[in-house]
Amino acid sequence: MTAPMTARLARELAAAVDELRRMTVQVRTRGPAGAGVLWDSEGSNGSALVITNAHVLRGDQATIELNDGTVARAQVVARDAKRDLAALEFEPSRELLFVVVRDSPPLRLGEVVIAIGHPGGLVGAATLGIIHRVEQEREAGAPRWIRADVRLAPGFSGGPLADTTGRLVGVNTMMQGSLALAVPAAAVEAWVRRSHTPVAR
Amino acid sequence: MSTVLQSLSTELADAVQSAGRAVVAIHARRRIPASGVHWRPGVIVATHHTISRDENITVTLPDGTTVPASLAGRDPSTDLAALKLVGQSFPTPSIRLDTPPKVGELVIALGRPGPSLTASWGVVSRVDGPWRTWQGAEIDSLLRLDLAIYDGFSGGPLIDGAGRVLGINTSALARGVPVTIPGATVERVVTELLERGTIRRAYLGIGTQRVRVPESLARKLELQGDVALLIVSLEPGGPADRDGLLLGDVLLEIEGAVVSDPADILAKLGGDRVGRPLTARVIRGGQMKTLQVTPGERPKSRAA
Repeated sequence: MTAPMTARLARELAAAVDELRRMTVQVRTRGPAGAGVLWDSEGSNGSALVITNAHVLRGDQATIELNDGTVARAQVVARDAKRDLAALEFEPSRELLFVVVRDSPPLRLGEVVIAIGHPGGLVGAATLGIIHRVEQEREAGAPRWIRADVRLAPGFSGGPLADTTGRLVGVNTMMQGSLALAVPAAAVEAWVRRSHTPVAR
Repeated sequence: MSTVLQSLSTELADAVQSAGRAVVAIHARRRIPASGVHWRPGVIVATHHTISRDENITVTLPDGTTVPASLAGRDPSTDLAALKLVGQSFPTPSIRLDTPPKVGELVIALGRPGPSLTASWGVVSRVDGPWRTWQGAEIDSLLRLDLAIYDGFSGGPLIDGAGRVLGINTSALARGVPVTIPGATVERVVTELLERGTIRRAYLGIGTQRVRVPESLARKLELQGDVALLIVSLEPGGPADRDGLLLGDVLLEIEGAVVSDPADILAKLGGDRVGRPLTARVIRGGQMKTLQVTPGERPKSRAA
């Protein structure tokens, strides 16, 4: 018996994960590696930006390892412990694939999402889940967290939570029981704009 | 370009959206509200264990309004409860009764532990025939789930990929392991709760313990098995006491069927047995004895 749909699903999932891995880096300071996403800083100075969780970093410098094994030194240029976000700058030696933020349509409850991270040194691991809860507008203005029914582990912190088209939905930050909490991509975008204005050299 | 992966995502979100229109939050305990399903027009199905009071119950509807609800009845043995709403019109879900779920089928559990709907996904991990809860109620089929339980899981619906309701979820029937009470059982229990407010169950007023009958005695009495049930407690004035069963009697058969587990007795005590005599065979003083026992209606929260 053939299962053409399941086979296609498997192929598409593998392709989506492959693409997301190219936008995901390892962020190493002391201790176990965290994850980070390659962010298009629109800067003219040739440097590139990595967004990760503040709690992943110890100190002001980190080693970035890209999916192809390229290693670079990176400097922390912004950090917000309260929002648990940090931005690092590094000089890329090649063209990078940056994450694309999903601005619209709004997230739907039950939508499939993919998380990429490096749990226990397993580089570029993927896990699949669905959006667990979408905050209703009357509860608060902008939602503080994206809540997903995705099983994460330490090492996913700072990595991407993406939709099935590969667009960034959030930055994975915490586990709450078997729920994943991610900083919404729109909030990350606003934070980057606020805290990191690239200066032309 | 629409891929299979994207279609899957869209269909799951569609299923959640459609079934979610019938999922409500129930405020009948302290702290976090529990979930319920608008099963029939004006009737909300919820789980018994999440309703800790009979009065002052309110329900938050999918549109966000909170309205009062009255408790129509509850059944601890199936962990189901029925609530009535007056003057509210909102959708009831489509309920899948014709095709039972299969092991490995993709399913979603919905809840509303507050104004917002929640969803978790997984697969049906086990499907089996009828089973009995620890309080003796028969559930039409066993549905075990491989998915994460969150606040609001109990009382929420398990839905399929098309948004059809397969049953009501509860974490209280199998020591915290998530199970789904199938739609057929919910239908049956809700109908009876709306008619009578409780589920009638017959009872004898005995407590039993499994014992091994000595081989010589089993041979002498020509028994089919060697395990029987020793009566270790007898409710004074209860049906068994009244009809002459004694403490220390060893129960062998009810209505011609061997009883070797307390659940075998429960199986003979459906609501329709109240007031209808049963034939019981016991060993008393080394001799076989046949008695007639007429079950009574079980008072609330009492065992067999």
